[in-house]
Amino acid sequence: MKEKKTMKRHMGLRATNAISNSVIHVLLVIISIIWLIPFVCIVLQSFRMELTGQVGYVIPKQWGFGNYISLFKTDFTRWYINTFIIALVNAALQTVIVLCMSYTLSRFRFKMRGALMRFMMILGLFPGMLTMIILYRVLKDLGLTESNAVPGLILVYVASSGMGYYVSKGFFDTIPKSLDEAARVDGATRMQVLFKIILPLAKPIVIYTILTAFMAPWGDYVFARYISFNNPVGMNVAVGMYNWLTIDQINKNYTMFCAGGVVVAIPVTILFMCLQRYYVEGVTGGAVKG
Amino acid sequence: MASVKLTKVKKIYDNNVVAVHDFDLEIRDKEFVVFVGPSGCGKSTTLRMIAGLEEISEGTIEIDGEVVNDLQPKDRNIAMVFQNYALYPHMSVYDNIAFSLRLQKVPEDEIYARVTNAAEILGITDYLLRKPRALSGGQRQRVAIGRAMVRNSKVFLMDEPLSNLDAKLRNQMRAEIILLRQKLDTTFVYVTHDQTEAMTLGDRIVIMKDGYIQQVGTPTEVFEMPKNLFVAGFIGAPQMNMFETDLTLENGVYYVKPFGVKLPVDGEKGAALAAKNARPGHVTLGVRPEHVVLAEPGENAIACTLEVNEMMGSELHLHVYTEDETRLVVRVPTIRLDEQTRKCLVAGAKVYITFEGKVMHFFDPETTENLLN
Repeated sequence: MKEKKTMKRHMGLRATNAISNSVIHVLLVIISIIWLIPFVCIVLQSFRMELTGQVGYVIPKQWGFGNYISLFKTDFTRWYINTFIIALVNAALQTVIVLCMSYTLSRFRFKMRGALMRFMMILGLFPGMLTMIILYRVLKDLGLTESNAVPGLILVYVASSGMGYYVSKGFFDTIPKSLDEAARVDGATRMQVLFKIILPLAKPIVIYTILTAFMAPWGDYVFARYISFNNPVGMNVAVGMYNWLTIDQINKNYTMFCAGGVVVAIPVTILFMCLQRYYVEGVTGGAVKG
Repeated sequence: MASVKLTKVKKIYDNNVVAVHDFDLEIRDKEFVVFVGPSGCGKSTTLRMIAGLEEISEGTIEIDGEVVNDLQPKDRNIAMVFQNYALYPHMSVYDNIAFSLRLQKVPEDEIYARVTNAAEILGITDYLLRKPRALSGGQRQRVAIGRAMVRNSKVFLMDEPLSNLDAKLRNQMRAEIILLRQKLDTTFVYVTHDQTEAMTLGDRIVIMKDGYIQQVGTPTEVFEMPKNLFVAGFIGAPQMNMFETDLTLENGVYYVKPFGVKLPVDGEKGAALAAKNARPGHVTLGVRPEHVVLAEPGENAIACTLEVNEMMGSELHLHVYTEDETRLVVRVPTIRLDEQTRKCLVAGAKVYITFEGKVMHFFDPETTENLLN
């Protein structure tokens, strides 16, 4: 009798779990579809050949690669290269700076360490936009605006890299210090400890840092617009393509804009698809264990 | 191979906590010295200062006559085995052992020879291509030892290397360390909180408490002549029985009167007290459990009640209390007991104990120092 009751309760629990799981999954599917709609629209519009402006339907009547071909006849290639250079250099420099900073704050004990971390945390609470005017003045004096906006933008993005040490430091804190000590006794310098022992163990956080450092300038509009100051030579893709959406341009360039959007998304999508596992490990590893 | 000399070494942390006070010790070439003491006594800190992993606040450390205070760990020519093994998880066993040699840019064929030789000595040849996570605790510890072995260092430091192993494996590894020591024939500094490890491994033992050295001596010295109550209690298991009593001198013979029984301090101990001209008075008397014997009721027998009888296999640990509720432990080899006596040794049974003068230890109740120091 008792066994039957337990069995019934067990079956009931299983049914409840199955229902709640189904509801959650249906909800997630709906959210995913809603989230994907704009992306699907952009991809479909990029293949539309009959009209170049905005239309009231999604599926093109006439398909083709014309928009992609026209895209590369504009300044798009230059903007794309500009963006790629900025993102790549920033990813390289920022990763090195962030990882060195994080390792230092995780492993070394020095005077004012705590104060420095608190100071950086408070500084990080202010929006970066506040620095725009002074940054522009400084970069203009250095000759790093307008046509020279690419190195200027690299400088802006890299300059504040050290502030983003939190997640990596949290991850490094979870790696036992005795590994560093063993390596130092084995004859390694601090630099060798970082590169031969710590970084191979921190692969997820290294990839997370590279991805975030690559992504930030890849999609940036505000700083890029301000510093390039409407000079097509110094523009990145976001600024350049935005100019196609002005009232007098949108009807001529809308489908080409969509094609540009797809081309811009391709490298980031590939990167994410390949490195998604590490990215998630990096975020959760740093956040949970830090 | 080298000597290690610590002179007035002190460690003060940033929060002004003094972890090690004026540590003076000279470790001879090829000597096996064990630092032993309870948690927080400063033994690991001292070892880490020798390794260069901890800064020295005051004093000097010399390795082979050279002051190494400001040298990096890599420049001290030492090898170290860590408590938690500290194996590099992303490297194979082979690469773990070869790591230091590769940093020294030793030719790859020599690395191969040294790694395989170490692996053979330690019995880990079959695991060379595995990652540390695929090994058991004992195998990992062997790899950690192998990593230290291949360096041919002057000094071999070990920080509680067996404390993460289970009791059986610990005994096995302890024996292996003794064999390893014979093979390597180098200077060892070993840290442990386990007095059995200290007694079985060390040529000399350094007993520490609260950052101070309590006693330095051979295992026999610290066991037979503990310098103070702390050492007496720390060395030996079960720990020494200690109780307050009076020391009297009658007709040139010393007597103690524990629990209303008058026992003569005869033999060497009596002579030693006389030589020291020990003044009669209140003392703390120490007697090791193995030196207390069961006796027949009589003039020199202390009446006790048996509280717990622990069967340890080859011996019994009898926890008894006297009439004034003082608790004592008696260690009795089972081979000395007949079946009838064994059956009588149950909780609540009346037992009589006694001990001879030669096994007594006398401590000043105020200073806790051994009166025969």
